[in-house]
Amino acid sequence: MFNYTFHWNQALRALPQMLDGAVVTLQVAVLSMVIGVACAIALTVFRLSGSRILGGIATTWVEVARNTPALFQIYMAHFGLGNFGIHLSPYTALLVGIAFNNAGYLAENFRGALKAIPDTQARAGRSLGMTSLQAFRLIVLPQMLRVAFLPATNQMVWAILMTSLGVTVGMNTDLAGITQELNARSFRTFEFFALAAVIYYLIAKAVTLAARAFAWRMFRY
Amino acid sequence: MKTSILAFGLVAATALTSPAHADKLDDIIASGTLRCAVVLDFPPMGSRDENNEPIGFDVDYCNDLAKALGVTAEIVETPFPERIPALMSGRVDVGVASTSDTLERAKTVGMTVPYFAFEMAVTANEKSGIKSFEDMKGKVVGATAGTYEAIALENQVKAWGEGEFRPYQTQADVFLALSQGQLDATVSTSTVAQSNVKGGKFPGISVVDKAPFDIDYVALFTNREEYGFINYLNLFVNQQVRTGRYAELYEKWVGGEAPSLAVNGVYR
Repeated sequence: MFNYTFHWNQALRALPQMLDGAVVTLQVAVLSMVIGVACAIALTVFRLSGSRILGGIATTWVEVARNTPALFQIYMAHFGLGNFGIHLSPYTALLVGIAFNNAGYLAENFRGALKAIPDTQARAGRSLGMTSLQAFRLIVLPQMLRVAFLPATNQMVWAILMTSLGVTVGMNTDLAGITQELNARSFRTFEFFALAAVIYYLIAKAVTLAARAFAWRMFRY
Repeated sequence: MKTSILAFGLVAATALTSPAHADKLDDIIASGTLRCAVVLDFPPMGSRDENNEPIGFDVDYCNDLAKALGVTAEIVETPFPERIPALMSGRVDVGVASTSDTLERAKTVGMTVPYFAFEMAVTANEKSGIKSFEDMKGKVVGATAGTYEAIALENQVKAWGEGEFRPYQTQADVFLALSQGQLDATVSTSTVAQSNVKGGKFPGISVVDKAPFDIDYVALFTNREEYGFINYLNLFVNQQVRTGRYAELYEKWVGGEAPSLAVNGVYR
């Protein structure tokens, strides 16, 4: 039995405030992807380097990022590091946590994409006088990013949704944080959460469509 | 013979059919169970003992209420933000969850007369140098999301125009962050502050001042339209005070003189 009368006008009055939160959400997600991609490329290079130490770091990172909950990673970035006197603000802790998670998943993405590029291409580059770094940077990397692009948009959507975990470390400026606060003040739980869900859906959908349009434009042969 | 069986059948059927307007109070008595939403990370109001059993003022209060109704109590652990979803989805009958009776919230749920009153205290990290409420200006402060003090403190930070406010999901996280120095100070109910400072789990913090917020009266709540049940709850709160049980529970869980639940100069 669900007896609850919806007060939509009250929720709609808070819409501008929630949209401000949505901007912060998108900002965190985009930044976490930029950092995540950079870290993932580094991890991929580490794994290719043949060095046991670098390979070990990359493997540990990927294992932890992929096999523990994102909630745990974000909580550790705030309270775990806090125990050692390293104080990250909720915003930074959330960003670090999601970027860490992104890097782990994207590194696996890149590894798969790398397998799709025949070794012979790098060797052909070398025989044309490129250094191995040049061959990687100019021949392998662009193709790897192309193959990995659409799978990586999944991670972007996931990053947007993960930002909602920021409330556990005191984040109150993103969409989830603002929704929680509006809810605490008024107890109109269902209106605010429904509205937040719609906004998350629209952001995620927009990102997917934009990525598809971008890929269609850029990756035509 | 046949007519008497028929007549008996009719009478029995009438008696057994439930009345058309069974309200929540009837439902609770008929089901034999009272399901209370209680927050269990909010000592001394609600927490768990070493055997993981729920204990605290709110737990005892729910048990008293169930006893008065002649039913068994079921404590449903409910974090602060989930109190309303729990009630609306029918998982609990009544909230015994230290809920501040704001007018904004009363648009959604039915509040009883106050059953408890909190005073607010400032607890600070000793390294922050905060000695009074005013010292918190410009510092990083926090409180438990969704509580009366969190709303009041956030408004205060906005009014000061400097510093930062952070809401954490549980009381334990607030005191962890405070103890680590991520927060400089927090405002919480004085009962919670005392129990956390004395508890020893969070070193380096101390209660430094009273917060000049209004007394936080908290009420039991249930569905807004359940007047029969709200009436019963109001009388129950009144009887708890009249019989001295309120003072007894206060002494048991908090200690000292129980705060008055009446407001001077106005009826409720």
